[in-house]
Amino acid sequence: MLFSEVYGSYYGAVAAVLTQAVDGTLTGEELEKIVQEKGFAESVLAIPAALRDGTWPLLTTELTTPLCHKPTMPLTTLQKRWLKSLLTDPRMALFSPSIAGLENIEPLYTPDVFVYFDRYGDGDPYHNPQYIAHFRTILTALREERKLQVTFDGHRGKKHSWECIPYKLEYSSKDDKFRLVTSSPRSTLSINLARIRACTMLEPYTQEEFRPIPPKKETLVLELRDERNALERVMLHFSHLEKETERLDESRYRVTLNYEREDETELLIRVLSFGPVLRVISPNRFIKKMRERIEKQLRLRA
Amino acid sequence: MAYSELIKNFECIRDYMRQFYVYGFKNRSEYDAKSARSYDNERRRIESWMGDYMSFHRDAGGKNVFLSVDSLNISANPLYQAFKAKSFTPGDITFHFYILDILADGKGRSVREILEETAQKYLFCFQTEQGLDESTVRKKLKEYEGLGLLKSEKHGRELFYNRAEDCIDLESWREAIAFFSEEDPLGVIGSYLLDKTQAKSSRFSFKHHYILHALDSEVLCSILLAISENRCAELTVVTPRSRGKARMHTVFPWKMLISTQTGRQYMLCYHYRFRRPMTFRLDNLCKVKAGAQERQAKKYGNWCEKYRENLWGVATGVEPALDHLEMTIHVDGGEEYIVERLEREKRCGSVEAMDPSTYRFSTDVYDAAEMLPWLRTFIGRIVKFKCTNPDVVHTFYSDLAAMGELYGGDEDAVQ
Repeated sequence: MLFSEVYGSYYGAVAAVLTQAVDGTLTGEELEKIVQEKGFAESVLAIPAALRDGTWPLLTTELTTPLCHKPTMPLTTLQKRWLKSLLTDPRMALFSPSIAGLENIEPLYTPDVFVYFDRYGDGDPYHNPQYIAHFRTILTALREERKLQVTFDGHRGKKHSWECIPYKLEYSSKDDKFRLVTSSPRSTLSINLARIRACTMLEPYTQEEFRPIPPKKETLVLELRDERNALERVMLHFSHLEKETERLDESRYRVTLNYEREDETELLIRVLSFGPVLRVISPNRFIKKMRERIEKQLRLRA
Repeated sequence: MAYSELIKNFECIRDYMRQFYVYGFKNRSEYDAKSARSYDNERRRIESWMGDYMSFHRDAGGKNVFLSVDSLNISANPLYQAFKAKSFTPGDITFHFYILDILADGKGRSVREILEETAQKYLFCFQTEQGLDESTVRKKLKEYEGLGLLKSEKHGRELFYNRAEDCIDLESWREAIAFFSEEDPLGVIGSYLLDKTQAKSSRFSFKHHYILHALDSEVLCSILLAISENRCAELTVVTPRSRGKARMHTVFPWKMLISTQTGRQYMLCYHYRFRRPMTFRLDNLCKVKAGAQERQAKKYGNWCEKYRENLWGVATGVEPALDHLEMTIHVDGGEEYIVERLEREKRCGSVEAMDPSTYRFSTDVYDAAEMLPWLRTFIGRIVKFKCTNPDVVHTFYSDLAAMGELYGGDEDAVQ
């Protein structure tokens, strides 16, 4: 049973409250603070009252509890089966969890149950020992907040070497690739992990040095004509971007998308893929590129 | 009944959340599936769960509520919050903590002993009207055994309960769970697990990250459980075309087909009545009930696999015959990445070099119309386009002409 109260935010909040009560350190202020942290926006109106008025007889009026142990809950079978399934995923080679306790557990599924039919075919080499070693070095550097010396092949085959502060490991399911996003006071660089040839951990960085530059954002305004189920297709296709949709009339919509400048070419071909049901309203630079490609194609046909 | 943040049935909220997230331009009066009061309550709940991800704008039709998420900038799918809002009774939460506390010392106890301790050690401290109903406690123990939280053993005629063994070192799993809770189709389970660990900010971010599938997790979980036991499944399906009317289908579920470019999920299955493999969109499935074990699982599985060989996406077209399609593209010097694109993005078929600057992609698929969006991404390079389905060729060129009109003329024409 996936949708169960035992996984719920209320049970989690009450467990945290009771943990403090078992310690004998719970105050009224703490009770509210824990519920605010662990619950939903309006939980503070429900949980403290139910605990205080005896609707849930778990806390006394003195904010103590008859429980003898700090509340803990074993993992459910579903949680164990999910973890066991992860062990069969090729990307699991990048991590090194303890598998103790899962020996006699049946996986919930095997990786071949999922077919990602439009995933690109040149994904990262998750079984390559060098790739795994680089991934783990980067993850350790992120965890320990240390700088990295990275040597990698550029797009044109030239070798580069960079001292950088690791910021994030970015994964794309479509590309099936990891990228190391680095930060430095002057620039930001993303490196495909599969292009890294050497990776060494350096000294810890200071908080003053860690200033990730937010990526440059652009706004794309589109007009959508709802034909051939275009409304749903477009909305789903661009749903991962920050967006706003406005209805202009019965069949026309204005869609405003925010995207990162470096993704413009990719976005351009994605807009092209919708054909005439999408029309770019701005920016002009984008319109110009659309026009160039369409005109070139019309000339090729002629 | 007084308003509560919690819900009994996930299905009630699923469609509202989808509409807020995917569309976001509807106002209150357009949510006509339920009453206005129901809309107000569901919107308030979703606002309570989603917090800052909810946005509003006003137009002539009134206030529009929408969910806006830049998925590159989130480390956890906010839609998982809805799965943590299951309602319960006072007895549920009380006995949950009592039972797990009683059994925390590792010593097994009979139902009778658990009842005695509940009365003497816990309820005794409160002047509560909450009675100690033996059958409620028995049901709770049985339910928790089913969830895997407890295990039971018969001693003579009495059943003894104990906590299930749990020696999993979740801290050693934390980073893997942080990754797979976003990346795995059933990542909501990972989110539940992360709630049990010492939360630290995630070191991962996700590009091209579609989060809407989270709302179909319950349905997906039921399908995966059926697949893991080779069981057939009874589906309750409501499609936009069926206008709210539910239809039942009995199928043998085989695989999940997932799009990384829209986030849509489909179940590939063998349909007993139609006697052929087919696909169902998960967001159209309201309920999945596992049925009997299928003795001919291998045979139906092989049929599904054979069927998959000529699928571009999930569509099969009107006729069962295959469409042959060829696209020849021109590549300038220094544009080898275009050929690489063909190679990595083709899902079936082959790429052939005609000369150093001309490449031909050819394939046979059930429904070539499904390929049109991908083919259009090569606009500007296509020198030849052929398909045995003339409608596909006609649509491609008429769309191209329409695009030419949209963007044609001088620069001011498209302002």
